[in-house]
Amino acid sequence: MSFDPNAFIIILTGSMIAISCGLLGVFLMLRKMAMTGDAISHAVLPGIVIAFLISGSRHGLAMVIGAGLVGIIATVFIEYLSNKVKLQSDASIGITFTSLFAIGIIMITFLANQIDLDQDCVLYGEIAYVPIDLWITGSGTIMGPRVTYLSLINLTLVSLFIYLFFKELKISTFDKEFAATIGLSTVGVNYGLMGMVSYTTVSSFEAVGAILVVALMVVPPATAFLWTKNLKRLIQLTVALGILASFLGYYLAFFLNSSIAGAMASVAGFFFFLSVILNRKQIPAIKKKLSKMKVA
Amino acid sequence: MIEQINNPVVEVHDLMVSYGQNPVLWNIDLTLPAGNLIGILGPNGAGKSTLIKAIMGLVEANSGYSKIFDQDLNHVRNRVSYVPQRESVDWDFPASALDIVMMGTYHHLGLFKRPGKKEKELAMDCLQKVNMKAFAKRQISELSGGQQQRVFIARALAQQADIYFMDEPFAGVDMSTEKALVSLFQEMTATGKTVIVVHHDIYSAGKYFNWLIMLNMHLIASGPTEKVLTEDLLTKTYGGKLSMLTDIGELIKKSDFNPLKN
Ligand SMILES: Nc1ncnc2c1ncn2[C@@H]1O[C@H](COP(=O)(O)OP(=O)(O)O)[C@@H](O)[C@H]1O
Ligand SMILES: [Mg+2]
Repeated sequence: MSFDPNAFIIILTGSMIAISCGLLGVFLMLRKMAMTGDAISHAVLPGIVIAFLISGSRHGLAMVIGAGLVGIIATVFIEYLSNKVKLQSDASIGITFTSLFAIGIIMITFLANQIDLDQDCVLYGEIAYVPIDLWITGSGTIMGPRVTYLSLINLTLVSLFIYLFFKELKISTFDKEFAATIGLSTVGVNYGLMGMVSYTTVSSFEAVGAILVVALMVVPPATAFLWTKNLKRLIQLTVALGILASFLGYYLAFFLNSSIAGAMASVAGFFFFLSVILNRKQIPAIKKKLSKMKVA
Repeated sequence: MIEQINNPVVEVHDLMVSYGQNPVLWNIDLTLPAGNLIGILGPNGAGKSTLIKAIMGLVEANSGYSKIFDQDLNHVRNRVSYVPQRESVDWDFPASALDIVMMGTYHHLGLFKRPGKKEKELAMDCLQKVNMKAFAKRQISELSGGQQQRVFIARALAQQADIYFMDEPFAGVDMSTEKALVSLFQEMTATGKTVIVVHHDIYSAGKYFNWLIMLNMHLIASGPTEKVLTEDLLTKTYGGKLSMLTDIGELIKKSDFNPLKN
């Protein structure tokens, strides 16, 4: 097979998105907040629409800020419902994310004739268009595929966030109360993480859509967790799985002539079930993990 | 029988705590002396954990306040250590015993700094003190309950604090380990540190602690062990728990149990 620059760009972009999602997903999983990640990735929809209305563009900083803010609002709301109103946490998540998502859908339908933004685009994305969607500067210079730049910036910021706050993330994930007693702002760490989840969702939705973002946040970390009980190893394996899903997903889609994002998610899912079978001894532990993830 | 002292290391004043509509602690007023091994006794649901959490600022008080070293907790966090109940965390977390003990050194490090060689050595020393050095590299999910408990205590030792609050540190540990931990705590108090331990066994409490707090939503007693470990106060503390009461009565009848004798 000869070198195909389009394939390279798609796989590179897919890998960078998968790594960003996986890095955050490891901590979401360990915090039993996989569903919160899911909720946020859907809840940012109204933020995307409002930012679009204000800035008139599907790209750019307004989008990231708008969605980031709604993501934080969703987090605050979920915490409020479960801590102050004493609603069960799964119900709090469900209510928050369905309401915000519904608001977003209503906005899109109402404004359908005014804006170039549809549900399909938000939910499923289209990574195949990445190579032809170019970033052209004001002076007309062609810089290259826009979404690839976005995902590079996103990956850099997510990696930096996790690198700089590794100690804080680790301690507040393992033992929140202990972390609070040594004066760490556990609330701050939580909002930081949720802010990064929101930002990553927005940065990636054009390429892979909100649903695949969730798959990439949940599946590779859960797969890696079947193989290792060492946090650094867990992160490395998650990164490797993300790259592998992107690479194999591209060629699977190519040969099946289907959606690349869908194929990436399928490959990730395939590795998960393969790991389950190979780790048959550990099946009870996985069940425990999954049931915990559901209620969190 | 509530004995107040001068120059306390811990002062709790008119503390009231409730979860939603349910009050759990009423008007707790106590002062604790430095350099003592202090036990907190009370039946399940008495509010023992809640009292510690309120002092550590983990639950909000409806009224009242607490002070440590005559200061707000925020000013003395580096001198205070807290060991939560073992079940409060998920031991499936991917970390080794050493990783967890290193967390005890984090507050000295500050933001962005990573633990280095010095922190690692300290953590190993602390594991040694609880006889867990051989398990330093072991994943915490593969440790027994008693070993996990000892990892928690080692993490607290790594904080090098002056006052320690431990919530049921003996839960799930075997008798010989419990004895070893008690002598470790006694060594610590001999050097002026204060160790406050939630304990559920009234029979050994008399031997272990030189100061006792008895709690059942209200503060029943706080004072030197020889003054407060009486049938009357135990009955008040464990009041409604009938089986417990008969046990105490029988034990005292058999005169196996004499709190005044060691
Ligand atoms: N987070 C919470 N929310 C609501 N009620 C609680 C919570 N934690 C404890 N309680 C209740 O407060 C009471 C005291 O609990 P706790 O302080 O844990 O008692 P102890 O440690 O003495 O067994 C119990 O009735 C318990 O059910
Ligand atoms: Mg308790």
